[in-house]
Amino acid sequence: MASLHLKQVFKHYDQTPVIHGVDIDIDDGEFVALVGPSGCGKSTLLRAVAGLESISAGEIRLGGRVINDVAPRDRGIAMVFQNYALYPHMSVRDNLGFAMKLQGVAKGEIARRVLEVAHVLGLGALLDRKPRQLSGGQRQRVAMGRAIVRRPDAFLFDEPLSNLDAKLRVRMRTEIRALHQRLGTTTVYVTHDQVEAMTMADRIVVLQGGRVEQAGTPLELYDRPCNAFVAGFIGSPAMNLLPGRVVFGDGGARVVTDDGLHLPLPPGSAPAAREGTEVLYGARPEHFEIGPPDAGGGGLPAEVIVVEPTGAETQVALRVGRHEVLAALRERVRARPGEALALRPQAAHAHLFDAGSGLRLN
Amino acid sequence: MSTLGIEVSLQAPASAAPPPEIRLAPPRAARPARAGWLRRNVRGMAALVVLVAVLAPFLWLVQLAFRPADRIFDEALGFTPTLAGFTSLLQGNFVRSFANSLVVSTLSTVLSLAIGVPAAYALTRWNFPGRRHVALWILVTRMAPPIAFTIPFFLAYRWLGLQDTVVGLALVYLTFNLAIVIWLMQTFFESVPASLEEAAWIDGCGIWQAFWRITLPLAAPGLAATAVLCFVFSWNDFFYALILTRTQAVTAPVAIVNFLQYEGWEWAKIAAAGTLVALPVVIFTVLVRRYLVHGLTAGSVKD
Repeated sequence: MASLHLKQVFKHYDQTPVIHGVDIDIDDGEFVALVGPSGCGKSTLLRAVAGLESISAGEIRLGGRVINDVAPRDRGIAMVFQNYALYPHMSVRDNLGFAMKLQGVAKGEIARRVLEVAHVLGLGALLDRKPRQLSGGQRQRVAMGRAIVRRPDAFLFDEPLSNLDAKLRVRMRTEIRALHQRLGTTTVYVTHDQVEAMTMADRIVVLQGGRVEQAGTPLELYDRPCNAFVAGFIGSPAMNLLPGRVVFGDGGARVVTDDGLHLPLPPGSAPAAREGTEVLYGARPEHFEIGPPDAGGGGLPAEVIVVEPTGAETQVALRVGRHEVLAALRERVRARPGEALALRPQAAHAHLFDAGSGLRLN
Repeated sequence: MSTLGIEVSLQAPASAAPPPEIRLAPPRAARPARAGWLRRNVRGMAALVVLVAVLAPFLWLVQLAFRPADRIFDEALGFTPTLAGFTSLLQGNFVRSFANSLVVSTLSTVLSLAIGVPAAYALTRWNFPGRRHVALWILVTRMAPPIAFTIPFFLAYRWLGLQDTVVGLALVYLTFNLAIVIWLMQTFFESVPASLEEAAWIDGCGIWQAFWRITLPLAAPGLAATAVLCFVFSWNDFFYALILTRTQAVTAPVAIVNFLQYEGWEWAKIAAAGTLVALPVVIFTVLVRRYLVHGLTAGSVKD
């Protein structure tokens, strides 16, 4: 069993606390992504699991064994670094076989396992080259091969794709995911790119300021973010958040924004949203409808700022009152900048957050 | 495209005087070739002149070593070279002092590296309180002129019984080389990314194993350069060798002084000995040049 548990992990650098009581539970074979903005502590946590950093308090348990004070080489983990960290004075073959050589594995066995991994990753023709003779994607695969060949209890990835170009990144994402499905090893994947997390992970842990904001499956985080930070972080393009206040009037309760626009209250707001509560109204770009300005039906008056067709959908930036709203529509929109439209948010998919605490209300 | 000269004539208003004709200079092909070549290579020529001026005394010494003794100061450049100057060195103590030089320099280099390299590594990677102060103090030891320490060393060595010993001389050079080794190797170790060592730790290395297998090979060019510097300093030192040796541990530079006899200076021997003393330094420098290769770490990390 190679489940990984972080229990009440704290870390200070001198007097500055960076990790504040983090609890994360990862099941055997799960692919968990740690996401968050720069400085949120995700890399520090990963390095703590690897044994490259110490923790000030708490417990790290891998496969039932507490590994707080165990040396990196005895923890049963393998790490893929952001900048690959390949040994430049060794060939690809020697890079892959280095760990086994240190363990005293027989030469024949080393050769066999190196060939096996090279075959899986498509590195067969590159075995005698040095790292400086490889492209970025090839180096990344050698870095992964070096981790795979050790057959660890857990893989640790530290933003491995951030140095690759966009197209290569998409391809490597699929490869890493396929590799995980094939090997079934517990994986912790740190990234600042939430698209990577959404597409690759079984579960995502969102971190900010050294704390866990929310942990759940990608769709859980997408459909029901537990606070405004997660709502704004997960999903691309980001969710629109409009500040306003809950008002009960004739015609039912609604949210009135600071520039006087009326928005329908999302379902489930009832007990938490009281008269006068300051809120943030969240609507994802794909949960809007657009129509001509005078059609009636309660649309908000909006002015087109820019239309960005991406092929699969059209992203329209609109000025609504004093705020800028981004809508993503399936149909091709033929609007011009400056044109007036009516914008209708789909109340059923809207989100309501408390303006002060950021917590979800509906 | 035509390479003819271009004629330009200005169009003036009809009432004005006939416009002047402007003719540009003829193209390059028409000028003398020699002048162009000189202009392009003036920097190379200047460098050559400076090089000859700087090397002249050294080259003069080397050719002096091969001159027959009776033609030593002849104006004529031509002579039949002879090895008499070198073979005459075999009689007497020069061979012994040359051997002493070799032993002392090698010993002090090996000791300086053995102590200085791990120290430099610790200073680079280990963040202990007061690290910056310690690094500065180490460099400060090199800031005083070595001559200031001769009397204390002389007295201390007499008391310790290290006078006129090869080991004693090597230890003196060690004290001066250590600061340079630590300072230089620190910069070379800093250029090796720490993530390589972290990868090695995860792969199964201990700290010093990772140092030996990963960091040191990557800092090898720097190590070679530092070793050469230590060797050359110890090899060329005259002053401390003069003060701290008498008969047993005399090194080559000091032995040359013995050729300045009361009856007359043995020019052939002086020149031959001087050439031999310069030889190891020249050979070392040429050998190590090949290892000062930039870009050894290219490809290891994303640049």
